[in-house]
Amino acid sequence: MRKFTCSICGYVYDEAEGVPNDGIPPGTKWEDLPKGWVCPMCTAPKVMFDEVVTEAAAEIKTVIKEEKASEEIRGLSFVEMSALCSNLSKGCEKQYRGEESELFNQLSEYFKRKAGVSEGKEFSDLKDLIKNDLETEYPSANSIVAGSQDRGALRALVWGEKVTKILKTVLMRYDKSQNSLLENTNIHVCEICGFVYIGDEPPERCPVCKVPKMKIAKVLRR
Amino acid sequence: MHAVRNGKLCTKDCLCLYVCPTGATDTETGQIDAKKCLSGCRLCVDACPSHAISLVLDEFPAQQEKTEEIINALYKLSKSKSEQEKIAAAVEASSDDPIVRQLAKAIGTSNRLMAEDLLREAGYMLPQSQNVKDFLQSLLESNQPDDFPVDVVEKLLKIL
Repeated sequence: MRKFTCSICGYVYDEAEGVPNDGIPPGTKWEDLPKGWVCPMCTAPKVMFDEVVTEAAAEIKTVIKEEKASEEIRGLSFVEMSALCSNLSKGCEKQYRGEESELFNQLSEYFKRKAGVSEGKEFSDLKDLIKNDLETEYPSANSIVAGSQDRGALRALVWGEKVTKILKTVLMRYDKSQNSLLENTNIHVCEICGFVYIGDEPPERCPVCKVPKMKIAKVLRR
Repeated sequence: MHAVRNGKLCTKDCLCLYVCPTGATDTETGQIDAKKCLSGCRLCVDACPSHAISLVLDEFPAQQEKTEEIINALYKLSKSKSEQEKIAAAVEASSDDPIVRQLAKAIGTSNRLMAEDLLREAGYMLPQSQNVKDFLQSLLESNQPDDFPVDVVEKLLKIL
């Protein structure tokens, strides 16, 4: 009997136990789970699960650290400057500094307008970027942070990588089902980490950052 | 260190009014008067049955130091997330289909939140930090379009 862990929320599927409450009897093999089975905790599809490897044979991935001149990397785009300012606005709000919060918000909106709107883009244009993030950027960043004491950076990477995997599966599901994916249900975004959830009601807590559901906002259809 | 009231949690039990030695908690705006508040006193914090009052530092410690290597790795990811936000915004703007717009909005918001978090960890956690001030100053010192809100940046530099 094997066990599989959801890479998003940490839920463990144990073949020996099944999920009797959902009609999956004990002893149900991973391959024999019904088609379309999703994580009971966070609705991630099966591809998001990893088999629990008991031996410490977890292969250590060697990642080539790409070195680029920092200047080249750090020139902020308009969208990034907008994101920097919208986050600083929140930081001021948390400190009850309303005036500063509003000013950063104005700057954020200014940079957002300056970024303009691209033309002729489709959802499929996201795929290469997501693939590159998951296959190159996160592994590289993780290997850099692994050797440091910087748990703040590690946290941002852990949350971001999970959310990116979720976005990948959301786009895969949309490819397959098109508008029927959302037609009779809702889509929500966690205001803290960006976790995206498709379903009538969001989970009690965000499976990625664990914030209570009051911080998981429904995205309106208009 | 002064007390602040979270309006979303305050249930108007008014015990903070009873215990405050200076009357700082009793104001017409619903917020505690920082000028009257005694630094570190915390009587209202402990008295509040709905845990709606907390203390905010006047001076914060600097953010934990970041290595150049980590900062660069975070920047590379924030670039990608911002690019994805822009693609999502373009899809949202060009579609007449409410469901497509809804999905694009969700994806754009998600990417914005990830970029915010990455940039925060790259050294911009605290709004009143030297890093943020340097960023604002660099905006003033570089060439900007005519519509750049100089006054907003100058005001921020003054009051942060």
